[in-house]
Amino acid sequence: MSDFLVAPNLFTLSKELVGWILKILSDGILAIAPVGSPVEPLRGLGYGLVADSLVTFLAWVVAVLIMIIWAAAIQLLTLMWIERKFYSRLQDRYGIMISIWSLPFWPFSWWARRKHKPTHRGLGYLQNIADGVKLIQKENITPALADSAMFHTAPVLIVSSTLMIFAALPFSDGFVLANMPLSLLFILAAFSIAPLGILIAGWSSNNKYSLIGGMRAAAQLMAYEIPLLLAVVAVLFYSGTLNVIGIVNSQAAPLATIGPISIPKWNIFSIPQFIGFTVFFVAIIAEMERIPFDIPEAEAELVEGWLTEYSGMRFGIVFGFKWLRVLAGSALVVILYLGGWLGPVWTLNANIGGAALAIPILPQEIWFLLKVYTVFLVIVWISWSVPRVRIDQILNIGWKRLIPLALLAILVAAFFAAFGSALGGIR
Amino acid sequence: MAVDWELAAFLILAVIEIVGSIMVVTSKKLVHAVFWLATTLITIGGVYLLFRAEFVFLIQILVYAGAVPVLFVFGIILTRRKIMEEVTPGEVPQEVPPGGPREGNP
Repeated sequence: MSDFLVAPNLFTLSKELVGWILKILSDGILAIAPVGSPVEPLRGLGYGLVADSLVTFLAWVVAVLIMIIWAAAIQLLTLMWIERKFYSRLQDRYGIMISIWSLPFWPFSWWARRKHKPTHRGLGYLQNIADGVKLIQKENITPALADSAMFHTAPVLIVSSTLMIFAALPFSDGFVLANMPLSLLFILAAFSIAPLGILIAGWSSNNKYSLIGGMRAAAQLMAYEIPLLLAVVAVLFYSGTLNVIGIVNSQAAPLATIGPISIPKWNIFSIPQFIGFTVFFVAIIAEMERIPFDIPEAEAELVEGWLTEYSGMRFGIVFGFKWLRVLAGSALVVILYLGGWLGPVWTLNANIGGAALAIPILPQEIWFLLKVYTVFLVIVWISWSVPRVRIDQILNIGWKRLIPLALLAILVAAFFAAFGSALGGIR
Repeated sequence: MAVDWELAAFLILAVIEIVGSIMVVTSKKLVHAVFWLATTLITIGGVYLLFRAEFVFLIQILVYAGAVPVLFVFGIILTRRKIMEEVTPGEVPQEVPPGGPREGNP
């Protein structure tokens, strides 16, 4: 493979960027402090700025910042906007409509008045920012009899474990922070820390509603962790690796070829993985506490479940990070079963470097985001059209239906992985 | 001067672990003890990471972070804590509301 076809990854890009900036700074310092001038000792600083260890360290900082801004700001706002717009349309109304022309200060309000632009008939993307600003202004209240230390620890646990997911979650071949051999296990381990934080939050607020919500969350999340992991085991029989990028690449074999376009064989197109997909999808909806399984915060029964007593930005951050978990969950569904960033590929016959040139029809990131948003829309669609499931029914579904189904998926997947090639390549 | 970063990481983890394990047995509240137990177990996972045993580290977090909430639930069920203004049976309320004792429902 020639070099220019290899996608750059996030760390190399940010190292390149940081290297350039530090080189310019260092050249400037060396220029204003020539040898023999009174500020000659600055030359040491100039040489030190381009040291490899400093560049590497700053490159990691920049890469982490890029990932956090991308995931926890841009994607979070987009997902919340999609959800609010979509369920408003399901309920036959317009939904949020705050736009840039609604801002009540100088350039925007002046321009809107002058051009007779409607001030509250936009796309509504800024509504979530307005809500966030409102929450920042509010007071952080700690209940009088709450266990203060634990009450303040719980959001930290939830938020940090959710952000840890994005250390290993790839958005494309190169758009990933750390590409480690066990990244899938890392993501699932980071997923499983949040129930502890939820229980601590529910117990420490000293409120019967939040305690009931926390206990329900514990029962539900622990019950659905098991089918989730078992369904992942069925995928591992096919991929043979725990690396997320390796799992995506194992789905690259062509399923069908229409002219020059070949469609990759995603995991969902095989029988055992389809069973696994059903189990995983239901379990991930339950893990995210979306509506058919949202008894931990059933608004009609418990005020707001385990986050009743939180207020101000502490509430905002715990509430908002649920969408981040939804993003991670939809991304996991896409990576494990829907082929990740692999879409139809246009194969050119021009031989470059001995192999036919395969060009993806859309860039990898766009494929990935399209699929993630589609999965997310399906989740939103489900959660705004079905009623809530009772707690005993939830546990029945988890323990009596999903776990046997996941075990069946493992058995069939193991059978096909062992004897599939003998039976004519069935997978 | 070369700094042995692994030694520094190990020392930090060891201090957290020792403090955490002492707190497990000295905490008055059972639920606090469970929280410190989780801290101890996760720092043990960090020590595994220093041994280059990533798989054991991740399994440690998956299994113990999954098991600790169970302990937490038992801690909540088996210990008593006042939730809101609930009065334990046999206990006289300390504060008399202004305007004398309430009438009607106790």
